Formats: sequence, C-alpha cells, structure tokens
Amino acid sequence: MRKKWGKLVAIPLVVTSLLAGCSNAGNNEPAANNAPSSTEAPADKPATWIADRKIKGLIFMGTDDQTSDINPEILAEIKKRTGIEYEVEIMKANKAIEGLTAGIASGDLPDFISFYLNNSGRQEMPVVLKAAREGMFTDLTPFLKDTKVYSKYLEKDYLPIDTNYGVMFRPEFNGSTYFVHMNINREGGKAGKLISGPYIRKDIAEALKIDPSSIKTHEQLYDLAKKIQAGNFKDNNGNPVIPIGPGYWGGKELGQIFSDLQWGDTDQWIYQGKDGKILHEIQTPVAMKKVEFMQKMLKEKLMHPEFFTVDQSRAEEGALNGSWAIVGDMHSYLPFNQDLHYLPLGPFNDVEGNPYQMQVDFKGAGGAWAIPATTKKPEEIVKFADFMASREGKILWQYGLEGRDYTLDDKGNPIPKQEVLDLKASNGAESQKLGFAGAGNYWGELFGKTDTDPMADYGEENYGDKLTGATGIGLKAQEFWKWDEKVANAITVDGYTPKSFLSEFPTGTDLTEAFTNYKDSLVKAYYSDSKEEAQKILDGALKQMQAANLDGYLKLLEEKNSDPKTKIKFKPSR
Amino acid sequence: MQPVTSSVSSSVKPKSKLWKSISTHRYLYMMLLPCVIFFLIFSYIPLGGLLMAFKDYKFNAGILGSPWVGLKYFEAFFNSYEAKQLIRNTLIISGIKLFLYLPFPIILALMFNEIRSKWFKNFSQSILYLPHFLSWVVVMGLTQRILAPDTGLLNEIIAKLGGDGSTFYMMEANYFYQVMFSSFVWKSIGWDSIIYMAAIAGVSPDLYEAAKIDGASKLREIWHITLPSIAPTVVILFILSLGSILSAGFDQIYMLRTPGNMHLADILDTYIIKVGLQQGQYGYATAVGMMQGIIGFILVILANRISRKVSDTSLW
Repeated sequence: MRKKWGKLVAIPLVVTSLLAGCSNAGNNEPAANNAPSSTEAPADKPATWIADRKIKGLIFMGTDDQTSDINPEILAEIKKRTGIEYEVEIMKANKAIEGLTAGIASGDLPDFISFYLNNSGRQEMPVVLKAAREGMFTDLTPFLKDTKVYSKYLEKDYLPIDTNYGVMFRPEFNGSTYFVHMNINREGGKAGKLISGPYIRKDIAEALKIDPSSIKTHEQLYDLAKKIQAGNFKDNNGNPVIPIGPGYWGGKELGQIFSDLQWGDTDQWIYQGKDGKILHEIQTPVAMKKVEFMQKMLKEKLMHPEFFTVDQSRAEEGALNGSWAIVGDMHSYLPFNQDLHYLPLGPFNDVEGNPYQMQVDFKGAGGAWAIPATTKKPEEIVKFADFMASREGKILWQYGLEGRDYTLDDKGNPIPKQEVLDLKASNGAESQKLGFAGAGNYWGELFGKTDTDPMADYGEENYGDKLTGATGIGLKAQEFWKWDEKVANAITVDGYTPKSFLSEFPTGTDLTEAFTNYKDSLVKAYYSDSKEEAQKILDGALKQMQAANLDGYLKLLEEKNSDPKTKIKFKPSR
Repeated sequence: MQPVTSSVSSSVKPKSKLWKSISTHRYLYMMLLPCVIFFLIFSYIPLGGLLMAFKDYKFNAGILGSPWVGLKYFEAFFNSYEAKQLIRNTLIISGIKLFLYLPFPIILALMFNEIRSKWFKNFSQSILYLPHFLSWVVVMGLTQRILAPDTGLLNEIIAKLGGDGSTFYMMEANYFYQVMFSSFVWKSIGWDSIIYMAAIAGVSPDLYEAAKIDGASKLREIWHITLPSIAPTVVILFILSLGSILSAGFDQIYMLRTPGNMHLADILDTYIIKVGLQQGQYGYATAVGMMQGIIGFILVILANRISRKVSDTSLW
C-alpha cells in the first residue's frame, strides 16, 4: 500500500518537474541577426521606411500612464511612413513591478518591453539588471551608433551620470547597453514649471491676512494651523475645515510641507550633514523631532487623522470641496485649481534651516525600453524608436495628423486646430481617442520622448501655447510662486539618489526591507501614545537597519560620493 | 465465509484487470477526464516550479539549467530578521481563522435549520451569502470607511452617545484581530454554512421523531442528533483546512495592513509577494511558499491519522 502511495505521488511529481523544468525562459540563442542592416529605404518608399513588419511591445506600466488604444488613422500613417505595424499591450498587474517580474520570468516577451525607471535606484532596476546580465536582452550599442537621435546618447556629457553609468553604460557591461533610458532633455539644467507642494485656500489666507510665502518652518505651519482651527472656516458643504489635509493623491508621508523635518529626500532619508558625515535620518535627532511634531499635530486635530493612509478618492474629494484648508501636496497643473483658489504655500526651509533654493537636475530621466534577445532583427526596432524620437515622429505622436489635427505655420511648426483644444477642454476622454499626446494620449512617449526641446522643435514649450498665448495650464501658480526668480538662483546637480546602490550592496535586500520598515515605523510612531513608545518603535527600526549593515552601506555611499562618476545628490531636486 | 476465487480469475494480471475496469466504465472516466486534465495543468505541472526553491534561477538557463544552491534559501529565511515574526503572525491569524471561526458557520447552519418560515429563511440566507461574492478590496474598503476616525459610522455613533469618536481603529494594533476576525466572519460565514446545511438536511427525520417521542427538547435534539450526525463533515472540512495553516489569506491581510498594525499583520503570504514579485527573488519566494505547503501537507496527514484512530472519520 505504502509503495502504491509512493508511486502515485512520485510519478506526477517527476513528470511535472520535467515538464516545468524544461522551460527555458531566457533562451540562450542569439537573436537571428544582430548586425546592423542597411539604412537605405527601397526606391518606391519614403526615406523613413524601415521594414514591412509588425512590432509588438509589452508595457509594464499602469493604465493611468499608458494605453494600448492607438488611433487607427495614426497607426495607418506610421505604417505608410515606416512600414511598421505597431501594437502594444499593457501588462495588467497589481503593481507595475509585479507585472515586470512575472513577465520577465515567463520568458515569453514580444519584440520590445517598456517599463518605469526614474533612476537606477528604482525597484525595477535589479530585476532588469539580472535579466540583462543573464542574456535576456539584446546589446543595443551597435544599433544606437547607427541612429540619428539616439546616437546622441553615445556623445560625451549628453546623458546625466545616473543614466550613463548607472542605467545604460554600466562599467560591468564594457560598453554594451541593454536598456534605453527615456525622457532626456536635449539641453541640460532646464527647470520644470510644475509648482508642487502644499497649497492653502486663498480665502482663508486672505481672511487671516497671511502671506503664504512667509510660511517657511514647521513652527510657523503649526501657528497657521492653530489660527485656521480658531477661525471656524467651513467647506463647500458647510462643514468645518480640517487645517491640514492629506495630499491630493491620497495619504502618505509628504516631503515638501515638512521639508525642515526631512533628513534628505522623503523616502530616501539619507543626507550628508554640515560635518560631511553621511547619516540616515534615524541616526539623527531629526527623526524624534518629527515624530513629536506629528504627534502634537494629530493630538490637537490640526492634521487629518488619516493624513498618511487615506485613500485617493476621499483625499481628492476633500480638496475639491475645500474641506482641507491646506492641501498637503498638489500641483499647479490640476484642472480644478486653474483659478488659483488654492495658493502655493511656502517653500519651506531645509533641515539645516537654510532657506529654499531651487535645485534642478542636469537632466532628468524616466521610463526605459529593452529588446529581448529573442527578437528578430532588433535593429529595426531601434530604427523605429529613432523615427519616433525624430522631429517628424514626435510631431506625429504629439500633434496628430496634419490637416485633421493641426496645420503648419510659415516656419513649418505645427499649430493645433482650435476644435481639438475645445474638445480636450470639454471632453478629455473623447479627445484622447484622437490618439496623440497633445490630446491626452501618451502612447508615443515610450519610444519618442527623448532628446526633448519643444521650443526648438515646434516653436512652443507646451502643446497649444501658440494658440492660447502661453496662458496655459499652471501659469497663475507659476507667477504667484515667483518661479522666474527662483530659477534665476537655481543650482544644477547631476547625481545618483542615495538608495541607488542597494542592488550592488551584499545585504541590499535586507536593507531595502529595513528602509521600508522605517517608513512604516515613522507613521506608527506618529500614532503612538507617548514619546517613549515612539522612541521604542524607532529603536526597533534602527536595530533592523543595523542588522542589515546600514553602517556598511553609508560607508559605500561615502566612497561613491567621492567618485565624480557616482556623485550622490542628497537633496531632492525641486 | 471465505471468498471463492476461481483459478482463472486469479491468473488474470492486475494490469489487464485495470484496463478491463476502465473499459467497462469508460463513459464515467471520460466524464472525469476534464477534471483530471484541469488538475494536471493547473495544480501538478506548476509543482515542477518548486525546483526553483533549490536553484539559483537564471533567466537564460531555465529552471533545470540553473545551478543548485541546496537549502540556501531556507537557511536565509530562518536566519532573516523577520522570520520569527512572520511565522508567529501567520500561525496566529490562520489559527484564529481555523479554530476560532470553526463553530460559527455550524451555529449559523443550525439556526437556519430551525427557521420555520420559508420566506424568512430564503431571505436571510441570501443576505448572508451575499458578502461571499464581494472581493476583499470592497469589503476592506467598507471596513475602512465604517471605522474611519471622526467620520466613520462607528465613531459617529460613539460621538453621538457622548464618547470619543476619534479612535483610529485601523491604525491601532489593539483592534487588529477584532477587525480581522469580524470582517472574515461577515464575509465567509454565510457561504461556509451551506455545506453544513446540506449535511443537516441529510440527517434522517426518523431520529428526530424518535427523540421527540422520548421527550427531547430542541437543544437536546441538536446536541444528541444533529451535531453527531454532521460531525464527520466537520472533521473532514477541518482536516482539509489544516493544509492552509500557514496561509493566512493574502487579500484581506494585505488590505488591512497599516503601519500601526504591521507587526501583527505581516504574514508569509504578504512576504512572498514582496520578495518574489516586488523584488524578483524567485528562488527565495518559492522556498518560503514551498515551506508553507509542506507544513500544511504534513499537518493534513497527521490530523487525518489522528482522526482515523479517534473517530473513524478520515479522508482516506
């Protein structure tokens, strides 16, 4: 009987082990033809012709950011100009990283993949790096050399150092590259015009005779919140307002509104102090100071009780109803505040008490794509990406079709049609169907949004500025916040975030876990009943970090920071 | 009486006997086939992936080609900072769901059985089955709204009654088990009572009639007839559920977890998702998942043996 049982269990196990184990996810076979092919188009085809083929991509991003719905007329135009039948699919997952991890492990990848990658410290990096090291992706360097736009990536000082040495041309790859980082500006040191951070209701600021730009410290914020509480202000429904509400997108730890209580950037919390020593926030008195302040704010009901955890719908509803006198975090492009009934508050000092100074990244980056090693003729994918990043391609995915969506001015720059702008203003969902970025559909950014300089390419900074007279979105907040003055005094930095090196640190996984635990421990400490209890919670978090060799990691950061190729930016760029 | 075995039948090989039996019942086997194929594809073939728990999985080498690492991942897990807490939390939560929850659907089934109005019985059954069809995301969303500080229903009632309506139940660890258990009971009790209802329906009415003649009260009927009659069903279901002792239910706990209760809410299921899918440590996550399965498997076998010895009721 026992033997029979053994057979019954063992046989299916052996068979299934063989079946599943035989799957060769990565497939070591080299791509069919990795040599760059001729760039010349056939005589009867346009100069932009690449090949008569289909290119299919799998996108590991959220459906809020990307779509697989591309306008058929635009697809037909792409086919006409390049011969490419373009199709993408979004990998649906709880989180984009989960989709990427599962997708790569499956080994069943189409012609290209695209994924989030703000910098080399992002959680996607270790996953794609492992795949690259294990031969999952095609070396793109030989093909990039043969392009018009992407070849700039090979020029000295074109790329920011994190993109150059951390993402694309990592020293371990000896000149090869397996991912192309996107969203690189053509010119460096260009400041964005988005004004993000806390905003205060204009009528409340006026009633209290407060200049929002005069609030620079957490103590001043506390006094302001007290005044708001005493003022008995009401929201649109006649209910009392909450002095400080959560961020517009839901509850979480916010950096800008408490920037004088943040040791470095929020969620990094690693900073080089005045004495030159690199420390984690938990090793400094700042952590407890912040905890005590938050405890006080919560106890006195000056903050929303679910400030750190509330869901997006309730947070958004509160902002729209004016239920939060101060919205913890929002930005100037939000449509509901184009009349500026919420004014930007601050900016706040830094943790060392220094007044705000704008910091601009030499060049930012975001998103990346890669070509699996199994893709046939990968050079055609690179050529197609190059077409999308060219001026011609960019106009196609940013302005749509000539005649249907825009006309050309005498300099050859596109002028959007008024009816498109009207449709976008009245029915955003309908305008998206037109299928280009100006109308709210960003599919073209995957391959095309890099080497960006809209003023040089189309004669306007933002889509439609020429028609609306640059009274575009966010302009009022920009003026109120005195953006021009701040840009004039801005410093430009080029560097890595402190957590960028976790994937190469031996106990990086444990330390990542410990850092995540610190983030949660902070919130737990805010809601604890006493200072002693909070201290105990933070001590526990520190113990976990030390067990994961925090000191070793901080030492590594010192080494990295002393190398010009791996300089670290400790302050957030904003 | 000794069975009579002819010399002809004893000479027939067991193999051909099996084929003969299959051939005789071929239509039944054909009906069984889709089910077998289903389990083969979705339950047995994925078992092969367990090899990853012993291998340093490489994309380009596949599971078989990747190098062996022995028990490295198991060692790493048990030496990790969180292992003790994760195992403890998982055992507590699944223990609550297995042992404490066990009588609830049985009691509900007994209550349903005693309702005489058919209309009311159908109505209340429908109401109680409904939560089963809601996803945990919806259930926990509702729970969060009801328990929200200041604005939640419960806090508003407390405030109306003169109490402090600012308790943040979801953030306070003291309320974690209560919220977890009550939401679990609310969602599962109706659906889980169905199988007990079916078992109760199978009890012979003669037994009740005999008890009535003997002057037994309703409670005595339940205690001496209904419960002993459905005991085998209860035991079988309990043994089967032991298999998931180290799986405390990912969806609910993931949604319920806040920084305030994380030291109680971090369980093996959430950990596997974190290291496996969010950090791409395939082998390590497989090892932890495999450990869950093996412990569950051993427990099922042990419980089955004990049950067979003690009560004559067992799975095999």
